[in-house]
Amino acid sequence: MMKKLSIACISVLALSACNDQASSGQGSARDYIEIVGSSTVYPFAKAVAEQFENLDPSYKSPKLESTGTGGGMELFCAGIGPNTPDIANASRRMKKSEFERCKENGVENIVEFIVGIDGIAVAQSKEGTQFSLTPAEIYEAVAANPYGKPNTALNWSDINPSFPSTKINVYGPPSTSGTRDALTELIMEVGCKTDAATKALKESDKEKFEEVCHEVRTDGAYVDTGENDNLIIQKLSANPDSLGIFGYSYLEANMDKIRGMPVAGVQPTYDAIAGGEYPGARPLYIYLKGEHVNVIPNLKEYVTEFLKAGSSDGYLKKYGLITAPDDVRTKMDIAISELSALDSAELK
Amino acid sequence: MNNTASPATQQTAIVGSRSTDWQGEVMQKRIVRRYAAERRFKYLGLSAIVISSLFLAFLLFVMIGNGIKGFSTTQVAVPIDFASATGGASPEQISGEGAERALNSLDIAGVVNTAIEIEYGAEAGDIFTENSWTDVRDALLSNPDMIAGNTTVWLTAKSEIDRAAKDETDEKFEALYAKLKDAGKAQSGFNWGFLTGADGTDPARVGIWGALKGSIITMLVTLAMAFPVGVLAAVYLEEYAPSNRVTDFIEVSINNLAAVPSIIFGLLGLVVFLSWLELPRSSALVGGLVLALMTMPVIVIAGRNSIKSVPPSIREAAMGVGASPVQVVFHHVLPLALPGIMTGTIIGMARALGETAPLLMIGMRAFLTSPPQGLTDPSTVLPVQIYLWSDEVNRGFVEKTSAAIIVLLIFLLTMNAFAIYLRNRFETRW
Repeated sequence: MMKKLSIACISVLALSACNDQASSGQGSARDYIEIVGSSTVYPFAKAVAEQFENLDPSYKSPKLESTGTGGGMELFCAGIGPNTPDIANASRRMKKSEFERCKENGVENIVEFIVGIDGIAVAQSKEGTQFSLTPAEIYEAVAANPYGKPNTALNWSDINPSFPSTKINVYGPPSTSGTRDALTELIMEVGCKTDAATKALKESDKEKFEEVCHEVRTDGAYVDTGENDNLIIQKLSANPDSLGIFGYSYLEANMDKIRGMPVAGVQPTYDAIAGGEYPGARPLYIYLKGEHVNVIPNLKEYVTEFLKAGSSDGYLKKYGLITAPDDVRTKMDIAISELSALDSAELK
Repeated sequence: MNNTASPATQQTAIVGSRSTDWQGEVMQKRIVRRYAAERRFKYLGLSAIVISSLFLAFLLFVMIGNGIKGFSTTQVAVPIDFASATGGASPEQISGEGAERALNSLDIAGVVNTAIEIEYGAEAGDIFTENSWTDVRDALLSNPDMIAGNTTVWLTAKSEIDRAAKDETDEKFEALYAKLKDAGKAQSGFNWGFLTGADGTDPARVGIWGALKGSIITMLVTLAMAFPVGVLAAVYLEEYAPSNRVTDFIEVSINNLAAVPSIIFGLLGLVVFLSWLELPRSSALVGGLVLALMTMPVIVIAGRNSIKSVPPSIREAAMGVGASPVQVVFHHVLPLALPGIMTGTIIGMARALGETAPLLMIGMRAFLTSPPQGLTDPSTVLPVQIYLWSDEVNRGFVEKTSAAIIVLLIFLLTMNAFAIYLRNRFETRW
C-alpha cells in the first residue's frame, strides 16, 4: 500500500519534471509574445491578440496582462531576455524617467507606435442652446467639491454669467467606465489644476487632491447613466437642456440627433481629436522592444496586425478606438518597417 | 427587593420542611422554564442550520440558474459552396500534416465571410463575430470531405444573438433573432466550445478548458511539492527530532506559516521564483510552487497530529519483533497515519484551488486564447478566470462567470471525492 503510494508520488514528480523539459527543451527563448500594460488599451489588445492567433497556424497566442501603464513600463524596462515583456501598452506617452530606467537595464531600442486615439465628447441635443465650455467650467459644474468647497452651482449661469440660466443636468459615464477615467484625467483634472492652490495639493496631499479633482457630485446634477451610451443619447434628445458625456464614437454615430459642444473653443470633430487640438483626447501607445524582434517570433507581425486593426476600416473601431490621423498612421507604417528607435529628447 | 426575596424564603421553607415538592407551583414554573430554555436552544440551533442551508441553496440556485445558460449556445446557419469558392480544393489537400497551413492558403476566412455576406448582407456584423469563421476551419480539419461539397454549416452566433435567444435583451437583437428563428436559420445546442476552448473577447466564443487545464497542472505541481515535503517534515518532527528549543521554534514557525495571508506567499513567489530563480512569469510551475508553500504547513500540522495519534503500542510491537526505526515509520506508523494526513491534504489543496490573490501577484491573470501546453507555458486558473470574467463589461459574461463557478465547484468536489475515497481505503480501525 505504502509502496504503491510512493510510486505514485514519484511518478507524479517525474511526470512534472519531464513535462517541464519537454516544454522548455527548445531553448531558453519564449515562442509566444508577452504583452503588458494599460487597462485602457487592454480591450483593443485583447481583440488583436485573439485575431493574431488565427492569422497563421504557426503564430502562437500572445500572453496579454493588464497591469496598468506604469506597472507595464516597470516590467517592460526591467531588462531584455525571455523573462521580460516584448510589448508595453500605454494610455500615455512613456516618461523620460521610464526611458532612462529602460536604458539603464539595457533596453535601448524602443519603438513607439500610436495605435489610435481615445477621446471623450461633451454633447447636447441639436435643439439646445449651444455654448462653449472650458475644462475648468466643466469641472466646476460636475465636481463634488470644486477647489475644495461644496458645489452650490444649480444653473449654468452660476458658473459663467454668459451661459444660459438652465439647470445643470449632465448625463455621464459611471465610475466603472473607462470613459469616466478619461473624464477625470483629461477634463476634470485639467480644470481643477487651473487653480494654483489646488494644483499644489497634488504634491503635498495626493489623497486630498484626488478627492477635490476626481470626485463627481452626487446631488443629482450629474447622473450616472450606466454603460449604455445609447441611453444617454435618447435622454439628450428628450431633454434639450441637458448635456451628455461619452465616447466620441457615439457622437459620430448620432450626428443626426446630437451635436458636440466645443471644449476650450474646439469642436469635437474627428480631425480635432485625431490632431490633438481637442482637450478631451489622448493617443494610445504601444511600445515594442527592438532587441526582441527576430528573437521572439512574429513580433513585427503582431504590431502590423494591431496597426491594421486600428485603421479606419479595421475591427478595433467596433471596440471604440478612434483611428489616428493619416500622417500619424503613415509614420507608424514607416516605424514598423524601419524599427526606428525612440529618441529620449522627445520625451518629457 | 421584597418581591425577589419572598420566593426564596418560601423555597427554603419548603426544602427545610420536606423533600422536593415536584407538584408545587414554584417547582412547576421552574420546570416549565427549563423546558422552554431547552426548546429555545434547540430552535436557535435549528434556525442557524436553516439560515446556512438557505444561503447555500440560494447560492447554488443563483449559480446554477445563471450558469446553466452558459452551457448552451446559439448557432446560425450559413450555406457555403466550398467546391466553387475554393476553386475545387480536394479533401486530400487539407488532411494530414500541414492541413492548417493548407487551409490558410485557401483563405477559408475569406470564403466564410463572403458566404456570410451573401446570406445576411448588412446584418452579418450583428449576427457573427470576426472569428466565426474559425468554426468552419475546425470543422474542415476534423472532416476534410466537406471541402468538396456544398453544405450548410452552423456557426456560433455573436453573444447578443445568443442572449436574445435566452432572455430579454435589446429590441434590435430580439427582432433579429426572431427573424432567424422563423426562417429556421437559428438553433440552440450544448456549448461544446465552452468545454474545449480558452478565453476570448466575445462571451459566446469563450471556453473554460484553458483555465481548467491550468488549474489541473497547477494543482499537480502543488501536490507533487507539498505532499512529500509536508509528510517528511511531519515524520521527522514527530519521530526523529529531539525535543529542544530549535524544534520548538520550528513548530511555532510552521503553525504561524499556516496562518499567513496568502497574498504574502504571492509576494514571496514574486521575489524568489520570478526575480531570483528567473522562472517564467505566469506559468503553472510558479503558481504551483507558490501554492505548495501555502499548502505545506497545513499538511505538516495535520500530519504531525495524525502521527501522534498512532498508538505507541504499535511502534513498540514493531520494535519488539526487530523492526528498525525506518521500518517502524514506513511499515506501520505512516500507513496508519495516512487517512489523517489525507484529510489535511484535502483541506490544504481545496484552499489552494480557490486561491486568487497570490496568483495575481505572479502574473497568472493574463488573457490567453489557448490552453497551456506544459508547466512553463503561461496559464491561468479557474478562480482567476472567474475574477477576470466578472470584471467584463459585456453582459454575456455574467452567465459564463456562473458557468465557470459551476465547473470550479465540480472540480473541487471531484478532487475531494477522490481524496475521501483514498482515505477510506486506507482507514484502519483497531
